[in-house]
Amino acid sequence: MPLVTRRSITIAAAAAATAAAVAAPSSPATAADAAAARDNAGPPVPPGERPLFGAQLWRLPHNGLTVAFVENRRAPVVAQYLFYGVGAGEDPSGRSGVAHFLEHMMFKGSRNVPSGAFSQIVAREGGNDNAFTSRDVTAYFQHVEASRLPLVMRMEADRVAGATLGAEEFEAERQVVLEERRTRTDSNPRARFREAFDAALWGPQHWHGRPIIGWEDEIRAITLDDLRGFYARWYAPENAVLVVAGDVREAEFRRLVEQEYGAIPAREAPRRMRAPAPAAPHEPRLIRRDPGVREAAYARSWMAPTLTAGETKYAYALEVLAHLLGGGQGSRLFKALVETGLAVGAGAGYDSDSLGAGTFSVYATPRREVAPDRLESAADDVLKRLLDEGPTEEEVARSIRQMTAGALLALDSLGAAPRMIGGTLAIGLPIEAVEYWPARLRAVTRAQVAEAARAVLPAAPNTVGWLLPADAPAGSVRG
Amino acid sequence: MNTIATTPHRIPIRAVEAPGGLTAWLVEDHSVPVVSLAWCWEGGASLDPPEQVGATAMAAALLTEGAGELRAAEFADALRDSAIGLGFEAQRDGFEGGFRALSTALPEAVRLARLAMAEPRLDADAVERVRARTIVAARQRLETPRGQASLAFWSSAYPDHPVGRPVGGTPESLAAMTVEAIRAAIGRQLRRDGLLIAAAGDITPEALAALLPTLFDGLPAGPPPAAAPLPPFREFGRKVVGFDSPQSTVIFGQPGLAVNDPDWEAAQVVLRILAGGGFSSRLMQAVRVERGLTYGIGAGFDVLFRRAIVVGSVATENARVAETLEVTRAEWARMAAEGPTVAEVEDAVAYLTGSLPLQFTDSRRIAGTLLALQRNRRPIDWLDGRNERLRALTRDGVAAVAGRLLKPDAVSVAVAGRPVGL
Repeated sequence: MPLVTRRSITIAAAAAATAAAVAAPSSPATAADAAAARDNAGPPVPPGERPLFGAQLWRLPHNGLTVAFVENRRAPVVAQYLFYGVGAGEDPSGRSGVAHFLEHMMFKGSRNVPSGAFSQIVAREGGNDNAFTSRDVTAYFQHVEASRLPLVMRMEADRVAGATLGAEEFEAERQVVLEERRTRTDSNPRARFREAFDAALWGPQHWHGRPIIGWEDEIRAITLDDLRGFYARWYAPENAVLVVAGDVREAEFRRLVEQEYGAIPAREAPRRMRAPAPAAPHEPRLIRRDPGVREAAYARSWMAPTLTAGETKYAYALEVLAHLLGGGQGSRLFKALVETGLAVGAGAGYDSDSLGAGTFSVYATPRREVAPDRLESAADDVLKRLLDEGPTEEEVARSIRQMTAGALLALDSLGAAPRMIGGTLAIGLPIEAVEYWPARLRAVTRAQVAEAARAVLPAAPNTVGWLLPADAPAGSVRG
Repeated sequence: MNTIATTPHRIPIRAVEAPGGLTAWLVEDHSVPVVSLAWCWEGGASLDPPEQVGATAMAAALLTEGAGELRAAEFADALRDSAIGLGFEAQRDGFEGGFRALSTALPEAVRLARLAMAEPRLDADAVERVRARTIVAARQRLETPRGQASLAFWSSAYPDHPVGRPVGGTPESLAAMTVEAIRAAIGRQLRRDGLLIAAAGDITPEALAALLPTLFDGLPAGPPPAAAPLPPFREFGRKVVGFDSPQSTVIFGQPGLAVNDPDWEAAQVVLRILAGGGFSSRLMQAVRVERGLTYGIGAGFDVLFRRAIVVGSVATENARVAETLEVTRAEWARMAAEGPTVAEVEDAVAYLTGSLPLQFTDSRRIAGTLLALQRNRRPIDWLDGRNERLRALTRDGVAAVAGRLLKPDAVSVAVAGRPVGL
C-alpha cells in the first residue's frame, strides 16, 4: 500500500532512535547557550574511543552556515540534508503550525526554481526528496546518485537565498495541511488523546504543549505574512546546518559548498528562547472517554531535564533509567505489568537530545478485564520501589550494554549519519554528542541513575492520562 | 570493497550454493561491518484454516518469545545484548524471516535464528501474552477509518479466499486459538524446502554457504503445502462502511497483471506517471496540489502469488469524498484513453532507471530487494537488463499498455467514514 509521508511531520526528534548522548554542557537554558558551550572544551574523549562517523565540521566564513561532511563510498549515492535551527517550538503565539505549514510552502518555488519543480527535477534524476518538521528542527533532504549532488546543492541553496512563498497556492496548501491533520490526528482516537495529553501536561499554548501540525483553528488563522515573517526571521544561513554524506571527496565537496552556498548573504539569526518548564502541570489528570476507542491506554509524563535545559547532568542517566524501567522484556514495568497479566504492553520513553525542557514518560495498555485503578497502582508501585531502592548494578550494566551494542548499525544506512548529526548540531549540541554517544552512555553509574530518578520522578510536575472506551465502567478511574 | 560503487548500473548479485541444496542470492560488501539475511516461504496467512485466522501471524510473533533452553526474556536479552534484529512476519501470501547484525555477532545471530525456527518453546505464558497483544492490535485496527476501509477492501475483493481475511486474525479467532493450532502453523510453514534466501553485507560467499545448513537444519523436509488457487480480483463496485470520523479513507483497486507479463515494466511506467510516489504523479497533482483535497494519494502494484493487483488509497474530509473520487476516476480514464505524454514517459523512465543505486544503500533493504526478485521468479540478472528494457519503451507502447491495464469502470472502492453524497 503506498503511503505518502513526504513533507511530513515527525513527532520524535530526528535522531530519537539512537538517543545520541553527550556529556552535559554547563546547564544552558537555550540552544544559543548550548551553541556557546560548543566552543568550550567538552568532556574529554575517552582514550582509544573512535568517532562513530568521523564527520568533518566547519563554518562558511561569509554567512556562518555550519557544514558537516561524512564520506561514505559504499554506493555511488549521496544524501544532502539541510537542517534549520527552528521547529514547531518557535511557532508564534496563537499560530501553532507555522513551522510545519512553511515547510510545505518551501516546495512552491524559489528564485530560479519554479513551484513544484524541485521535487520533479530530483525525481527525473532518479532521486528522492522530502522534508520534516519536529518541535526542534525543520529539515529538507534529498537522496540522489552521486553525480547529481551539485544539482541538488544548487537548488537547495536557491531555496535558502529566496523562497517564493507566493499567494497563488497558499489556500490550496492550507486545505492540504488540514487534511494532513485529519489524517494524522482527527481520524485517530489515540492520536487525539496524545495531543490532548501533551496539552494537559504543558498547557495548550506552551511551546511544548501545542501540536507540531498546529491546532485546527490556528492553522485556519495562519496568514501568508506569518509564513514570510517566520522564514525571514529563522531561515538564515547562520541558523542552518548542512550535512552531506556519501560518495564524494572532501576537497570536491568543500569546493561545491563554497560555490553554491558561499555567496548567500549573511543574515542575523535570533537566539532561540524557550520558556522553561512550568511549575505545575496544566491539568494533573486527563481522563478522556472516546466512543471511537476499543482499548484503554494509560500514560504518565513528567517534565524532565535534557542535554540542553535544566539539570543537564541527569540527561544520560535518564536515558538509562527509561531503558531499565520500560525498555521491553526484562524491564521493570514489563515484569510488573505485562508478565503478571495486568497489561498487554508497557514501556517508558525519554529523549535527552531535545531543545529545552523535555519529558520522561511511562505508558501501558491494560488488559480488558483489568480495572484502570489496579494498573495505575501497580505502575506507581514500580516507581516507588525504584525510588526507594534504586536500580541494581546489573540492571544498569544490562541497559547500557543493550543501548550501545548496536551503535555501529547506524553505518548501515545512508540517512542515519546526516539525521543524527544535523538533529544534534541544529539544537546547539556539539558534534561529540553524536560521535561519542556510546562512550558517554557507558560512563553512567548506578548512583547517577538513582539520583536522576529521585530528581525527576517524585518531584517534577507531571500528568496522568487515561484514554477509555465510552462504555468503560464509571468510577473505575481515580478522579 | 566497493564493488557496487564501481558498477552503478550492474549490481553484482551472485547465487551461492550451500551443501544440502540451499541457494542464496548475495550482494557482498565489506565497507560496513553489518550483515543482513532474509528468507521466505510461500503460504503465510493463506494457509490458515478458516476457523484459525491469524494462526500464522501468532506463530510469527511467538518464534522470538523463547526457544531452546531460553525462555522469552532470556531470548530477548540474548538478541539485544548483541544488537541482533531478528524477526518473522506472516503476510497474505508468504512468510518471511530475517535478521540484521554486526558481523561480529553473526554466529550468535545464526544460533538464535536457528533456535527460533527449530525449537520454539511456545510456553503457555508467552502464548497468553502474545494472544492478548494481538487481540488488542486487531481491535485497534478497527478504531480508524483506514483500518475499517482496508478490512472492507480485502474481504470484498477476495470474499472466497484466505487473502481476503485479516492476516493478523480477528479478536474472536485469536481468542479461540489453541497452542496446537499455532504449532501446526509452524509445522506446515517452516520447512527445509520451498525456501528463498537472500543476504547482503559483510559476508563472503564461502561464509554464507557454510552457515546456511546450520541455520535451517532443524526444519522438516519437504515444502509447505500449496495455498488454494487465488481467484481473480472480484470487482465489487463501491462499498461504504459507516464510521464516525471527520475524514473518510478510501481504498481503491482493480485487477492488474501477472509479474511475468511482458508488459510488466511498461505497466510500472504507467502507474508511476498516474499514481506513483512523490509529487510528480497526475493524481497527486490533480487531487492534492491543484485542489487541496488530500494530504496524499497514490497507487501501485500489490503482488499476491505472483499476480499483481492495482491498489491505492486516499483520505479526505467527508464532504469532499465524492469530488475526490470523481477527479481520481477522471484521471484514471484519461490515462486509459490517451496514455501519457512523451515527456512523462521520459521522466518516469529516468526516475526508474536512475533510482536503482538508492535501493542498494543498506543491507536490510538490499536483502529485501533480492528476496522480492526471487519471489517474483526473476532471473538473477534481471536488474542488469532492466534499464535497457525501460529505455526501449516508447510513448505509444506505454499508451497501449495503459489502455490494456487501466479499467476506470472496474475500479472498486471501499470507503470508511461518513462520506457525503455517495
